[in-house]
Amino acid sequence: MIHEDGGTAAVTTLVMLPLLLVVLAGALEFGALRAVAYRVTAAADLATLVAVNDQDQTELERTGTLRLAANAADTARDYFARNMYATAPALAASVTEIAASADIASFPTAPAIDPHTGTRYERPTVRLIASVPVKTPGFAVIFMPAVTTITIRAASSPR
Amino acid sequence: MKKHAATLVLAVALIPAIQAQAREPFEHEAPPVVPTPDPVAFVVPAGLYYVTDTYVADVVATSDATTTYSTATVHESTGTYARVIDSVDTGASSAFDGTAFNGRGTLTDGRALAGTYYENFVLTAGGYLPVSIVFFQDDSETRRRASLSSPRPATSSPAATSAPVVGPSDSRGGATPTPSFRPQPPITPVAPTLRAGVALAADGPTLRSAEILRGRLIYFWPRAYANDAAVAVRSWRLLSATPDYVSATTGASEPLAAQWLRMPTHGVRWSLRFEIFTEVAPMERLDAEITITVRSPALID
Repeated sequence: MIHEDGGTAAVTTLVMLPLLLVVLAGALEFGALRAVAYRVTAAADLATLVAVNDQDQTELERTGTLRLAANAADTARDYFARNMYATAPALAASVTEIAASADIASFPTAPAIDPHTGTRYERPTVRLIASVPVKTPGFAVIFMPAVTTITIRAASSPR
Repeated sequence: MKKHAATLVLAVALIPAIQAQAREPFEHEAPPVVPTPDPVAFVVPAGLYYVTDTYVADVVATSDATTTYSTATVHESTGTYARVIDSVDTGASSAFDGTAFNGRGTLTDGRALAGTYYENFVLTAGGYLPVSIVFFQDDSETRRRASLSSPRPATSSPAATSAPVVGPSDSRGGATPTPSFRPQPPITPVAPTLRAGVALAADGPTLRSAEILRGRLIYFWPRAYANDAAVAVRSWRLLSATPDYVSATTGASEPLAAQWLRMPTHGVRWSLRFEIFTEVAPMERLDAEITITVRSPALID
């Protein structure tokens, strides 16, 4: 006995197609969100590295130890904004606003305890925590928020 | 078949991305370096210098009508220090008149001689201790003809003479000098204790170790001390080093510029060793060393 199931497959595809499209849109948007998160995290990492590279020369000459410059946090904030410019079109706020609202702390001497995270730093450290709103129009299609806020964290020290 | 294809597409789309992890390049690195700065040197009187020419006697020399008042010295170091406290012109008074052990002589007309007052110091455990004041006379006068006033000529001999003056401050009046030799003040010579070190600034303290950032050009100043007082470095020579760049291997007053581009292997610290010669003891070799820990900015978790 031969059964012809071509019609059944067509009906199944028509029924499942909207669901497949929704899932595909969500997956693509999720991938894009991950890519933006990576780029913003890299921006934060590089910003803290630049801040750590700026050392207090007077302290070095006096004691021979590395100590963060007094404006290390400002340097990290400045470079965080600069490094996010390439990602700005994908962000739901200006890079300046994001950098200004970032929680950036410098710990010029070590050891030190981060009051925000409880982390103990064995070297002079610059730590950055930022909430970054990212445009996610693909999520809006599936009735999710059109803006997704991701939290990134970076910390650097001379090692 | 279509179901399998749809399932495959869905599976590929939902593969989760892995999370980025900050790398920890040196998890087992050596404990932090605790630099030990040198003890703070005590206060050094302004203008103090190490004496290399020592007072011997006041000298009055007459040639024809000109009488010259000078000071004889000998080129030797007694381990003492001195500084200028006053310079006076002919006839001018000074707050230190009467305080010098050799006094301040006068011209034949009674005016006080021009010259310079020096205060002598010895270095003790408690600091620089003032021990005496000496007057270095530096003056001259031309004797006028008999018709001119010259109440007390320095000498009656027309021939050139050169003789140390008799006494200290009592020599005022310019009496004919009696050859005499004034002993030096009772200063006990102190052989200076020399040491050397390396600083990261021209006037910075010497350090036994230092942390530096990879790629940064750092200046190292070989420095020397006599009884903890800084003395001039005559020359230095780099004995051993491992930088990727050094500005020179020998020098004098200029620093050594060094740069490390490579990171050391785990647990390894590099050092710079210098051979230093000073102006105070040019023949005495001093060694100085500074340990270097090269670091680089890195991410931490």
